[in-house]
Amino acid sequence: MVDNLLRLKLALLASSFRPGSRRLGRSIAVSLLVVAIIVGMLGAGALADVTNPAHRAAVVIGAGALSLGILVAPLAAGLGSALEPRRFASYPIPSGQLALGLGLAGAVGAPGALAVALAVAVESAWLDLPERGVAIAAGVLTAITIILSSQLLVTVAARLAVSEPAARAVAATARVTVVVAIAAAGIAAIVAARGTDGAALERFAEVVGRSPGGLTWAAIGAPAGEAVARLAIAALAVGALAALWWWVVARVVVSPERRSAPADRAADRGLGWFDMTPATPGGVIAARSLLYWTRDPRYRVVLLGLPLAPPLIMLALLIAGVPLPLLWLIPLPFLALFLGWFSHNDTAYDHTAIWLHVAAPLRGTADRFGRLVPPLLLGVPLILITAPLFALWSGIANGFELVAGVSLGLLLTGLGVASVVSALAPYPAARPGAGPFDQPPLTGSRASWAQAGALVATVGFMSPTLILAWWGVTSDAMWSPLAGLAGVATGVGMLMLGVAVGGQIYRRRAPDILTLAQRT
Amino acid sequence: MTAAKPRRKKSATPKRPTPPPPAQPVVLEVSGLTKRFGGVVAVDGVSFTVRRGTIFGFVGPNGAGKTTTLSIATGLMRPDAGTVTVRGADVWADPIAAKRMIGVLPDRMRLFDLLTGAQLLYYCGVLHGLDRETARSRTTDLARSLGLDDALDRPVRDYSIGMIKKISLAAALIHSPALLVLDEPFEAVDPVSTQLASDVLRRYADAGGTVVLSSHNMDFVERMCDHVGVIVGGRMLTAGSMDEVRDGLRLEERFVELAGGRQAVEGLEWLTTFSD
Repeated sequence: MVDNLLRLKLALLASSFRPGSRRLGRSIAVSLLVVAIIVGMLGAGALADVTNPAHRAAVVIGAGALSLGILVAPLAAGLGSALEPRRFASYPIPSGQLALGLGLAGAVGAPGALAVALAVAVESAWLDLPERGVAIAAGVLTAITIILSSQLLVTVAARLAVSEPAARAVAATARVTVVVAIAAAGIAAIVAARGTDGAALERFAEVVGRSPGGLTWAAIGAPAGEAVARLAIAALAVGALAALWWWVVARVVVSPERRSAPADRAADRGLGWFDMTPATPGGVIAARSLLYWTRDPRYRVVLLGLPLAPPLIMLALLIAGVPLPLLWLIPLPFLALFLGWFSHNDTAYDHTAIWLHVAAPLRGTADRFGRLVPPLLLGVPLILITAPLFALWSGIANGFELVAGVSLGLLLTGLGVASVVSALAPYPAARPGAGPFDQPPLTGSRASWAQAGALVATVGFMSPTLILAWWGVTSDAMWSPLAGLAGVATGVGMLMLGVAVGGQIYRRRAPDILTLAQRT
Repeated sequence: MTAAKPRRKKSATPKRPTPPPPAQPVVLEVSGLTKRFGGVVAVDGVSFTVRRGTIFGFVGPNGAGKTTTLSIATGLMRPDAGTVTVRGADVWADPIAAKRMIGVLPDRMRLFDLLTGAQLLYYCGVLHGLDRETARSRTTDLARSLGLDDALDRPVRDYSIGMIKKISLAAALIHSPALLVLDEPFEAVDPVSTQLASDVLRRYADAGGTVVLSSHNMDFVERMCDHVGVIVGGRMLTAGSMDEVRDGLRLEERFVELAGGRQAVEGLEWLTTFSD
């Protein structure tokens, strides 16, 4: 069975190069690109002088970025691989054999070749040094990890992307990721070759080394204990991924198709965000919120304000005399706090349209969670992408954990608090169709109580984290990772608690929220 | 003319035999509903029942408490006293079970008007538990029956008042509820669309659906409904089958008699002396 699947994969590969095939041009272009990247990687590996710390850092950064790029590359080609486990559901193949065969088949083809070439390139850089054993182990483990996770990703994405627009969005995101990964690797190589900014490269490599992408690559050349620990974690991860792959294949072949049938495309009116979210109350409320965040001026002002706020905050604090490198720690947590806090009056923004929710047989948590999706989708990637930069600029040790953890904590805690406050104490807001700065006819003291209460509660729940973070900055950097962990834990806990409690309150108070909206 | 005559006669006096009382179960039971706004009693101990398959017309002068009663009956407004049950489920004690069976068209409430018509109907369908395909296919069906085909891809914000009433009616119908509660459903709706919508409601009731609707238009209520309740000053003055309530008169005459509207003209003598 396994060799049948491998033969099938080879036949599929060969067929895409058949003369006259509609996709021949594309196949040739893709293979030229793949060959170019492989040559580039091998060349860079041969040229890199890993006794130079800057070059070693560049290898970690480049290999980490490319690992991520290769991982998502299959998604960039569009969903619907011929070797999705689902397609074999109707054949009597034991799911264990299917998982093994498909896993091996995944190693054949462009992503497999790229993963192997990446491993070989890194190994070749270390070939003449005593660490080559570690390099070979790291390369093998990473190649297996990439192949397995990309298979998993394709299968899971195919299950989640329930409609055509969602599939297109996934492919587009993957393409952007691939381009960014290649660019990052290229920049690292160029900076290392120029040889002037070695220190910055090393600091950045440290951040990459702490992320999953750099787990194995940073093991090479590390002290023996750390190297063993890193490789052990990587080996465990491979085992976990393999188990997960087995489980997913076994499940996917017996569960029903979710993708909407393309047969009714004629009657298929594009419903925008609604096509990308699950057809559940929480899903459509999330889609509606996303639509309002992107179209309604009252929400859009937040999106416009986000890039403007950090320079302003920094300028104000700079004038107040805060030393510059440390100042870089401030903007991101502040943004996260604001983004989380902003949702605290979300129900009032619906005005009387909330009757649609009140009249529906709706669980409170569906309403609460759906409204939090836009700030989550906006805030979490923003924090994870920009935190390394802010940490780097601030120049403190363990800065990434500190900034990312505290910011995530403030965002998620803020959203949890907002989820309770917007059900408990909504106050009149600018009406739908009004400008963001139009004031409602009456605001009264309830507004300031709710605003201040949401802010104080968020900061209050986060105060243990903030104290740890303060110690991390002022006395000992060892507190910073703890602060980061505490922030994430507080955030996740308060978000879940907030949605649950807010849901209960909403269920009881929904008609009163509507009555309030009618009165204003 | 001879062809038109039987139709007019039918529309003036609907020949629906009143259903035999024990046959149809009670769908909506409202009892002792009371609601105060500040010192004003808006609804004062209103009780009535509506049985399966009937179209119940709810009439009353402006400010009589129609909208308040219907809002409370659908779980949109909290009563000070009284209970509402829909097929045995208490709207205020077990809202999820009750609301699953109700379709609502409230008066003068906003919609999420940045959504297109199609998105709004899909939204309502899924909130009421429909799956993706059902919500979509029913959207298409309802748009066709109510004459909304061309408007589905436009944002609801650009709709006229009549179109908003029609899309709201579609939103109330999309989960095929056992009970429809419509507050002023045909205000500002053109005659052709009113006819289309009336046909939809008639078919729905004949199939065993139950409709409660309020209106100012007595001719329309007389044509459309088989049961009627008259509310004045927050009290239900009379409720029953159309023939019982009309008591031999036209509904409009009977209504004006009950609401006591004729005395008001006396104070306006100055309006008959013109200033030229």
